[in-house]
Amino acid sequence: MSAAGRPLRFAIAQGTMLKAELAALAAVGCDVSGVTSDERRLVVRAGAMEFVRARPSDIATYVERGAADLGFVGKDVLMESGARVLELVDLRFGACRFVVAAPRSAMARSLDEYRHLGSLEVATKYPRVATEHFRRRGIAVEIVKVAGSAEVAPQVGLADWIVDLVATGATLAANDLEVIEDIAPCTARLVANPAAYHQRRADIAPLVEKLAAWAAA
Amino acid sequence: MTLTAPPRGFRDILPTEARELRAIERALTDTFTSYGYMPLEPPMVEHSGFESTLGGDRLIRFLDGDGSLLALRPDITTAVARLVAQRYADASGALRLSYFAPVFREEPAMLGAERQYAQAGIELVGPSGALADAEALALLAESLARAGLKDATIEVGHVGAVRALFADLADDVRDLVMRELRDGDHVGAFRRARDGGMSTGAIARARQALGARGRGIEAVDVDGVTELREVIHLAREMFAGEPLWGVPNLALMPALPYYTGIVFEAFHPGVGFPIAAGGRYDLLLGAFGTARPATGFAINVPRLHLALYAAGWRPHLEETLVTLAPGDPVVTARLAASLRRRHVTVAIGTAAETAGLKVLEATAVDETHARLGDGRTVTVETLANEAATKVLR
Repeated sequence: MSAAGRPLRFAIAQGTMLKAELAALAAVGCDVSGVTSDERRLVVRAGAMEFVRARPSDIATYVERGAADLGFVGKDVLMESGARVLELVDLRFGACRFVVAAPRSAMARSLDEYRHLGSLEVATKYPRVATEHFRRRGIAVEIVKVAGSAEVAPQVGLADWIVDLVATGATLAANDLEVIEDIAPCTARLVANPAAYHQRRADIAPLVEKLAAWAAA
Repeated sequence: MTLTAPPRGFRDILPTEARELRAIERALTDTFTSYGYMPLEPPMVEHSGFESTLGGDRLIRFLDGDGSLLALRPDITTAVARLVAQRYADASGALRLSYFAPVFREEPAMLGAERQYAQAGIELVGPSGALADAEALALLAESLARAGLKDATIEVGHVGAVRALFADLADDVRDLVMRELRDGDHVGAFRRARDGGMSTGAIARARQALGARGRGIEAVDVDGVTELREVIHLAREMFAGEPLWGVPNLALMPALPYYTGIVFEAFHPGVGFPIAAGGRYDLLLGAFGTARPATGFAINVPRLHLALYAAGWRPHLEETLVTLAPGDPVVTARLAASLRRRHVTVAIGTAAETAGLKVLEATAVDETHARLGDGRTVTVETLANEAATKVLR
């Protein structure tokens, strides 16, 4: 639900992206002095705006349902959530990519398995992204949803391949995995609830312009 | 095992809510009628192979006895397109059709994940041009106002104008850009336009046009913007309403792919989703073999109800229910009949569900007198005055 009359509500992700988010907001003139990672309050009023700290995966939900008007969220989170929001600006920080990876030593075996059994098992924390990717590629796979590290799945025989989000690739290498295919590059996005974007354009448009200019610089 | 709960995504609408929905239905359908729209009742079930306006995963499908695939209708527009091609193929002139009916779909962002909800809407088939577009727009504004919704704004865009902004691109690239805009992905759309060879200047112009809303649209120079402003102006001549309900806004791009011209969505500050959506869809009917210009809209009734509720709206159709404790059966029956002739709502015996009505308990003394709970004995005339049924609009 959204509400008229309340300040523009901006959802920002707790955790690793918080610093970059606050730097972006400060650079375009928002007062974010009250928002810090050790602040216990999750909703902070700052001038004409209100900042809500939330888990990255919840931000898409907040914004889709209008509980927040705007948000910073990774493209990876958007792809996995399928939330209907407006993606307005590519902020260029938080860069990472979705990849398909397999054990370096076992490529031949897994391809042989695909020839004989017609299907592969793919472990991932991102079943929506993985399902969509393999459907587009026409490869029959069984998605095994895991909540923690997918990298371990091939080593223990849970799955042949994994679909995972990588920044540097160091974790893949440490687990003897190599990238077979890139699915999509991801960076942080400014997103808006469509109803809020239409109804509060006068408040939102200047922020969009300033953030786009900041990101392009 | 006894299954007492309905299947997932379906539910019982109990009397308090049902009464409110009836009040909404009455207000909407009366307004549709006042613009010359005729009611239409297509079947609940359609062939699943029909040109669907939604993705297949949003349909609720099942097999017929002969193995053909059927679907519960996901909207009424598709049914109208089908029946216009079949039943009105040779009709010339304007066809004005309206409906208030449940539709069925897998809707991830619906209240309580409902798979069935009521849509109210109209289709205007035949005429094209500003007057027809303005009629649909004004009728939506007036319908929402007569249902009791204040402070609604209707954002009006133009799919043709947005296409024209990307005129430099090859057709196939432009189609992909339009799809990304419909999905809300402006970042992806502009990146694709740049990769497709659109100039920096043209991209900046398109970005500025999509950001413009209200008066800002006057600075946008692209085919369609003049038409957009003319349509809003004409619509406000038909229904003035509250100040500024029609706002030009090229960023308005409905998710459905079949729109070709003027498009619009209604918003209310109390709801984070559009309450109604519509626009011109000149190509959909052609898919059924009879190309005809058409425009229309559908109101999502639960979301309208939510907005009304959030704004404090409570309909009071019948203010008082008189319950007559059964005394002598004949006397009680005659007294009930006499009260009902005076437009009093009367239930004989007790009422376990009163749907929020005020209850006045009475006992029949004789055919023309009743004793009330406070001990007074009153005539039918007095009782009818006390229980005066008010129909509020």
